[in-house]
Amino acid sequence: MTPIRSFMTADHRHCDNLFAAAEEAMAKGDLGAGKIAFEQFREALQNHFSAEEKTLFPSFEVKTGMTMGPTRVMRMEHEQMRILLDEAAKALERGDGDDYLGQAETLLIMMQQHNLKEENMLYPMCDEHLAAEASAVLAHLETDLSSAT
Amino acid sequence: MQALISLDNAPPLAAPLRFFLSAPLFLMLAGLLLAVAGPEVFASRWLPATLALVHLVTIGFMLQVMIGAMIQVLPVVAGASLPRPLALARFVHAALSVGALLLAAGFLSGGAALLRLAALLLALGVGAFLLAAMPVVLPQVSTSPTIRGLKLSLFGLAGVAGLGVALALGLAHGWRLPYPELADLHAGWGLAAWAGVLLAAMAYVMMPMFQLTPGYPARPSWWYPPLLLGLVLLWSLAVALGWPLLTRLTQGMLAVVGLAFTGLTLRLQRQRRRARADATSRYWLAGLCAALGALAMLAAATLWPAVTVWPAWTPLFAILLLAGAFVSFIAGMLYKIVPFLTWMHLQLKMQPGLPAPNMNRLLPDPAMRRQALSYLMALALLLGAAVAPSWLARPAGILLALAGGWLWWNLLGTAWRYRLQAIALAGASDERAQRAGG
Repeated sequence: MTPIRSFMTADHRHCDNLFAAAEEAMAKGDLGAGKIAFEQFREALQNHFSAEEKTLFPSFEVKTGMTMGPTRVMRMEHEQMRILLDEAAKALERGDGDDYLGQAETLLIMMQQHNLKEENMLYPMCDEHLAAEASAVLAHLETDLSSAT
Repeated sequence: MQALISLDNAPPLAAPLRFFLSAPLFLMLAGLLLAVAGPEVFASRWLPATLALVHLVTIGFMLQVMIGAMIQVLPVVAGASLPRPLALARFVHAALSVGALLLAAGFLSGGAALLRLAALLLALGVGAFLLAAMPVVLPQVSTSPTIRGLKLSLFGLAGVAGLGVALALGLAHGWRLPYPELADLHAGWGLAAWAGVLLAAMAYVMMPMFQLTPGYPARPSWWYPPLLLGLVLLWSLAVALGWPLLTRLTQGMLAVVGLAFTGLTLRLQRQRRRARADATSRYWLAGLCAALGALAMLAAATLWPAVTVWPAWTPLFAILLLAGAFVSFIAGMLYKIVPFLTWMHLQLKMQPGLPAPNMNRLLPDPAMRRQALSYLMALALLLGAAVAPSWLARPAGILLALAGGWLWWNLLGTAWRYRLQAIALAGASDERAQRAGG
């Protein structure tokens, strides 16, 4: 059983879908629809980050005693992606479609390689170390993701 | 605990970048060789210029990028950190670059000493990489089809390099070897067991990542790499036992398995959720179509060997498979990997909270799209040259050289913009340090 991995991976795919919707609108030149879709994507991604930073990572760190390990790297990458999100939002505010697409491209790859590390390494480690409290952690993560929206 | 450390362990930029920047020069060189040697290149696969040309593409371009990419992705994807990646990259890169040049020179001049030296250098380069990679990659648990593919591809690399070195030494010393059978097998190890397996392992990750396609279905993904390697092993057995029928059967099965994978990939491509067609997606679409053509030809040749008598058959097959499929896939990947890596390394140098120039600023989209178009035109001319070599061989060579040079220019521009930014950032942080000190 890999409950944490499955649950969090599904949320990654949810964010991917929202990203694609925003990019599609922008590629069609529909700035209004692009802004709405991008805001939905930004919110979903930020909720995902904060669920990890407030619930999943601390549980993992307490249980394993590793605060300078993989979760530190993941937090750093969250910061980098927050910058890209802000830059993309600024480009949208300016109505600069080209700059938006450049930021979005960068964000997408950053996000995907980050997800890959989480899905293949960190989440399986969480499932392993947090097996006993998995259902409590999952319930918490679910609240984090839904309450924020 | 290996996996824990490795999350943080991307190699320094200079390790993979040197491979990516020098590889297109070999594509350019291959084009120049074709432009100079002309129509004779298409007359037989055994001609010196033909052998030189093929190895400039396969070793100079393909192998270089594949090893550079592996040095980059092994820590990220497989959690396997290579020891001293920069020193390893420097050595392997020098050995492969010089080795590829000497091998081409050895073929062209027929010089035994050149062939021997080339074989030695290439064996050292590949050997050093395998010695560094195998002990850290093979113990990793295969938690995904990608990791399994990466592991198995290393055996493919060992196979193609071992056979290649034996063949080169055989030529240099005039050994009596069954050259046609061994050369085919060498190509099978290189293109199926090494490049094919690695390509699949990377596609599992890169297609959903860059194009937001659905993931590859799990069962075929797990089985495809061992199936390819198993078929090539069976082929080797057939050659060792002298059973030509089994050789044909395994080639036919490789064609069928390859067609299934290519067809599946095309279907996933059609379901991609990104609306924009960029240079990478165009390269990949062209590569997939070329792969379908090449594999259909391989299947046809195993059913009706008589078709290969047509003089254009072998060059068409080789062009579709190498220039059409593999070079296109690799060029498409370079256009994502190089701007992303330079962006990532710049971002790490930035002050916290400040953005680095995004990927499109490091490598603008129009430059990539135009270069991709020039390469596809070169490919079309190459295919035409297989049918009408006396008319089209030289123009195809010139266009290939231009497209290869343009690829190099685009990637070099990215590296240059990275350098300028990095210097500016270092200057700014010195200034801050001085001000803080004063």
